[in-house]
Amino acid sequence: MKNVTDPFVSLGHWPSAGSFGFNTDILATNPINLSVVLGVLIFFGKGVSLSDLLDNRKQRILNTIRNSEELRGGAIEQLEKARSRLRKVETEAEQFRVNGYSEIEREKLNLINSTYKTLEQLENYKNETIQFEQQRAINQVRQRVFQQALRGALGTLNSCLNNELHLRTISANIGMLGTMKEITD
Amino acid sequence: MNVLSCSINTLKGLYDISGVEVGQHFYWQIGGFQVHGQVLITSWVVIAILLGSATIAVRNPQTIPTGGQNFFEYVLEFIRDVSKTQIGEEYGPWVPFIGTMFLFIFVSNWSGALLPWKIIQLPHGELAAPTNDINTTVALALLTSVAYFYAGLTKKGLGYFGKYIQPTPILLPINILEDFTKPLSLSFRLFGNILADELVVVVLVSLVPLVVPIPVMLLGLFTSGIQALIFATLAAAYIGESMEGHH
Repeated sequence: MKNVTDPFVSLGHWPSAGSFGFNTDILATNPINLSVVLGVLIFFGKGVSLSDLLDNRKQRILNTIRNSEELRGGAIEQLEKARSRLRKVETEAEQFRVNGYSEIEREKLNLINSTYKTLEQLENYKNETIQFEQQRAINQVRQRVFQQALRGALGTLNSCLNNELHLRTISANIGMLGTMKEITD
Repeated sequence: MNVLSCSINTLKGLYDISGVEVGQHFYWQIGGFQVHGQVLITSWVVIAILLGSATIAVRNPQTIPTGGQNFFEYVLEFIRDVSKTQIGEEYGPWVPFIGTMFLFIFVSNWSGALLPWKIIQLPHGELAAPTNDINTTVALALLTSVAYFYAGLTKKGLGYFGKYIQPTPILLPINILEDFTKPLSLSFRLFGNILADELVVVVLVSLVPLVVPIPVMLLGLFTSGIQALIFATLAAAYIGESMEGHH
């Protein structure tokens, strides 16, 4: 009977290994199942999902890098283009500026010349007008003097003319005319 | 007597089968504390794995990542994604914390499920995942508590405690209770899941040593990963919750 109860009594105390060591019982330590599980894990993990995931990620990073490189190249190209255009525009502006100065200079000279000419013409007109006015004034004065002289002569004629003088003048004139006729004949 | 010895043999076999050790620990005496040596050993191994792989991955960084670097960057992206969805815009400073939680728990769980710890025999207890022990999970959960308190207090100052009477002051006891239930649920969820996983595997192995435990082990891998993700997500959610303001 003692033999039967022994295992039950000893159930209360776990047998301890006592110290560190290696358990060589293959079934208890379970390495076969573990290796199978590991194999399944590695096969499915590496073969199917994880490698796909990592490849996709790498591809994505590569694409991103390539895209940004392209963008960078494009931006540099555009910058270069813009710079060359700026340079061209600057030279054009310089040219325009120089041209504009010379044009203005020429315009100014032209203007001065034309103004000068106009001035001269005006001067001429003025002189002509002055001369004309002078002429007119002289003419008027002459007419006035002539009229006065005529009026004086008429007065003198009216006051001094009597019969004897009249006859004398007529006979003198007839004589003069007669001699003139003889001369012409 | 023949029958008796036969039954003794049967009992011995039963005894061997039932040799599943639960609650047996390999105690170390450090200072005045008894610590669970097997948990520390496996934690160190996990930490060594993490640090070593991270060191190898960042040893020679390339612009176009390949192999290990690509994998680790992917993991980092995943962690950042989790923290960003849970915490919001100010997730930056919390990525290291969430990442540490996630990676440590994940590698711990998977080490318990994948590494043949049982080959090494201890004087007492046996080596298993560090998260198999309630002390580890409680420590992680308390760290999370400290983290979300710190996050709330640095963000809002003492106004953080205003959230305890947030909808109505009647809910004050429940809100206070929440601070205790959060770490409790976090730690027990992780501990229970991992312990259950490993126990199921051990029991199945002791009953049918080959082939039959494999599906359960695969399921265990799945659950372990999910648990790590849940822990990290919840930690991030708590931090985000304490940082979001009702201004």
